[in-house]
Amino acid sequence: MAKIEDLKEEAKKLLREGKVKYIIGYGAGSNGWLAAPLFIKKPEDVDKLVWDPTCVHNLVRFLVDEKRRKARQKQPDKRPVGIMVKGCDSRAVVVLLQEKFIDRSDVYILGVSCEKMGVVDDAKLAKKLAGKKAKRVEVDAQDRFVVTTEDGKIEMAAEELLAERCLECKANFPVIYDLLSGEKTKRPLDKPFGSLEKIESLSAADRSSFWKEQLDRCIRCYACRSACPMCYCDECVVDSINLAVTADTTADEKAQRIHWIQRSAESSENLVYHLVRAIHLAGRCIDCGECERACPLDIPLRFLNKKLEKEAKELFGYEVGFDPALPALISCFRDEDPQDFIR
Amino acid sequence: MAEDYEPRIVAFLCKWCSSAGSDLAGVSRMEYPPNVVPIQVMCSGSVSPLYIFSAFNKGADGVLVSGCHPGDCHYIKGNYYARRRLNLVKKLLEYVGLETQRFQMSWVSAAEGTKFTQIIKDFVKELKPLGPQTKLRRNP
Amino acid sequence: MEKILAKKSFPQWVKKLDSWRVYIPRKDEEGRWNYFEADGGEVSLDVLQTTLPPKKILFPQREVFLEFAKTLAGNRETLEIKEVLPEVKPTVIIGARPCEARAAWMLDEVFGGEFKDVYYWKRRDQTTLVGFACTTPPSENCFCTSVEGSPHSEEGLDLLLTDLGDRYYVQSMTAKGEKLISAAKALFEEPKPEAKKQVKAAHAESEKKIRRQLKDARPIAQKLKGMFDSPLWDEESMSCLRCGICTYLCPSCHCFDIGDEVESPSPLKGQRVRTWDTCQFPDFTMHSSGHNPRPDKASRLRQRLLHKFQYFIQVYDKFMCVGCGRCITLCPVGIDIIKVLDKVRDHGA
Repeated sequence: MAKIEDLKEEAKKLLREGKVKYIIGYGAGSNGWLAAPLFIKKPEDVDKLVWDPTCVHNLVRFLVDEKRRKARQKQPDKRPVGIMVKGCDSRAVVVLLQEKFIDRSDVYILGVSCEKMGVVDDAKLAKKLAGKKAKRVEVDAQDRFVVTTEDGKIEMAAEELLAERCLECKANFPVIYDLLSGEKTKRPLDKPFGSLEKIESLSAADRSSFWKEQLDRCIRCYACRSACPMCYCDECVVDSINLAVTADTTADEKAQRIHWIQRSAESSENLVYHLVRAIHLAGRCIDCGECERACPLDIPLRFLNKKLEKEAKELFGYEVGFDPALPALISCFRDEDPQDFIR
Repeated sequence: MAEDYEPRIVAFLCKWCSSAGSDLAGVSRMEYPPNVVPIQVMCSGSVSPLYIFSAFNKGADGVLVSGCHPGDCHYIKGNYYARRRLNLVKKLLEYVGLETQRFQMSWVSAAEGTKFTQIIKDFVKELKPLGPQTKLRRNP
Repeated sequence: MEKILAKKSFPQWVKKLDSWRVYIPRKDEEGRWNYFEADGGEVSLDVLQTTLPPKKILFPQREVFLEFAKTLAGNRETLEIKEVLPEVKPTVIIGARPCEARAAWMLDEVFGGEFKDVYYWKRRDQTTLVGFACTTPPSENCFCTSVEGSPHSEEGLDLLLTDLGDRYYVQSMTAKGEKLISAAKALFEEPKPEAKKQVKAAHAESEKKIRRQLKDARPIAQKLKGMFDSPLWDEESMSCLRCGICTYLCPSCHCFDIGDEVESPSPLKGQRVRTWDTCQFPDFTMHSSGHNPRPDKASRLRQRLLHKFQYFIQVYDKFMCVGCGRCITLCPVGIDIIKVLDKVRDHGA
């Protein structure tokens, strides 16, 4: 993976000259091996930045917070925010630009390339260690993982530990940036949607029971929604109270509000919630895998979003997150869009 | 499946074509199964995927979205948007295991009363052997 | 009452408890730990921390309070309301961690007291908690000893099992616990004096194995009183995603929402249900006027900490945190309650 000395220099300069409000990056986590989001306001703190395969988070999520914060302030600081992005995360920035949620001048993008690696899948790691706890995860010179546990070091091939999405990654390096650390190298990719095959090959009945079993675990903590940089709606269809309620909203209007989905964590409601989320992310999900990683019950949510990514590619030739000038998938059409399913 | 099982279909019909088409079927006294609950919408492009999920969730055995033929949309291109969006909805519903026959889309113009009755007849015929829809339904 | 149960007899004992509904932690095919019904399957106490605490058994995520239905006879409309009380079979939770039992003991305070929550107590009264002392900490983020708990705490438990190699040392604290022993009397032996010594040593040893520590929890609680407006909350909540993991998976968090789920608007028919809710959701404190007194992440993080380390202590003289460490382990962005409280302690020092 790339060295980020140049990025650190730039970050220091930006903060020293006051060109950015603060920088969102990765720092050492307090909880074991995993990095954690780090917010840097002072140039002397820049050395706390880390870049390794445990930087799994999609920090673009925090640009949504930043926008909300700015909206609450009477005289917001209009300087851009510096943000560290991986290849996948940079595509999330592209989508936010495409949807005009943020402006290019709102961000100073510090890109880092994953080069031929990617990030660690915590579920895979947990399975490999079977109860033992990792203290550190590093990459050696041969691009192999070295996991340090209490009982010593374990070496693993990259494929064994890399997140599934990294193995299917289309952009190992940022597609949009103000500064790029590392080389623009890609890992070879033969099956961009290979992980879907297992579910797609099931019969309809088996697919139904697969999803039922998975989604029945959902406790509706909404970590999937919260971790997602694309889930920026002020008001979500599952919230019990309309967040767009204002002082002028009458009691009658509130009472008449449709409950599309009940709050109860029941099979049907969980399924509808996740369907709504999936369809809302169609042509927007950039496969950063945060929903799945954040899920405390390990629901394979990525398979829902990846499926729609695949359909968008196959049906409409649409690839998300490369061109901020492109219209969103479902706000455009082509005359030759397939319609064989229509009577 | 019990002989007397009658599927319930929720049909979102666009005001300008399909709804007028169903009216034509009605005023022309064409016979078609009474299993369908029509909901008039301004345009097939205004049908949110949530309407469809919600219809299934609240007990529909089948959902139909019907709009103007390509090129005929009152709002010029609403049906093109619908075509793209609902294609994804269809794929998604199939992916989570809903029987593919349960969600249908059609183009019915204001003059196609016969086509509308045929679509409903076929839809009911296809739904009957499947039995009640339970996968998205609350309290099945 | 104190007894010895050979490890190899443990499954037999569980089998004998057939007039109870038995829950026990188990690993599923994907390697996730959770409480499952034993259902005659394989049982063992060789377990790590479950993702969800057994709270969901005593305080389910969804509970129906009442059912309502309007009927129309002639032109007379009547609204029928029927109370729904949970029908609960006697239940045993085997392998509950002492911290999880302490949390149940806290829920008892919240749902007991002057006004008893009948729905909670219907379940609670029927539930026996069989604890399993943590001779090895089930999670790397355990810190029970810092919040007045211990890996062998008896609070809230009916029975406590301690691993002594090839056998369990069984302590019974209540009549409910003794009932479980008498369900399979023949399997239990009287402990020899050296076993008592052994168990004491094991307990003392287990306290030393807890890897994380929060120093001065009580003084921190005192200090929190003056920190409502501290800028610390803003800093510490920067990375918060506003999801509900820390609270939904907390064994002692117990906030809920009551709402009507209408099945059919006409004729009106539906249920009034209680569902889990959390202070971490923006709509938790949303007023019907549109005003939200806790409008940002900072105020919500503060609420979680103050509830656990200030308000609860003022009312019940206990921390509302049992130190299981789930909120640390499972937070997607690594917000660490110990680290945050450390900063509170050192704040302005």
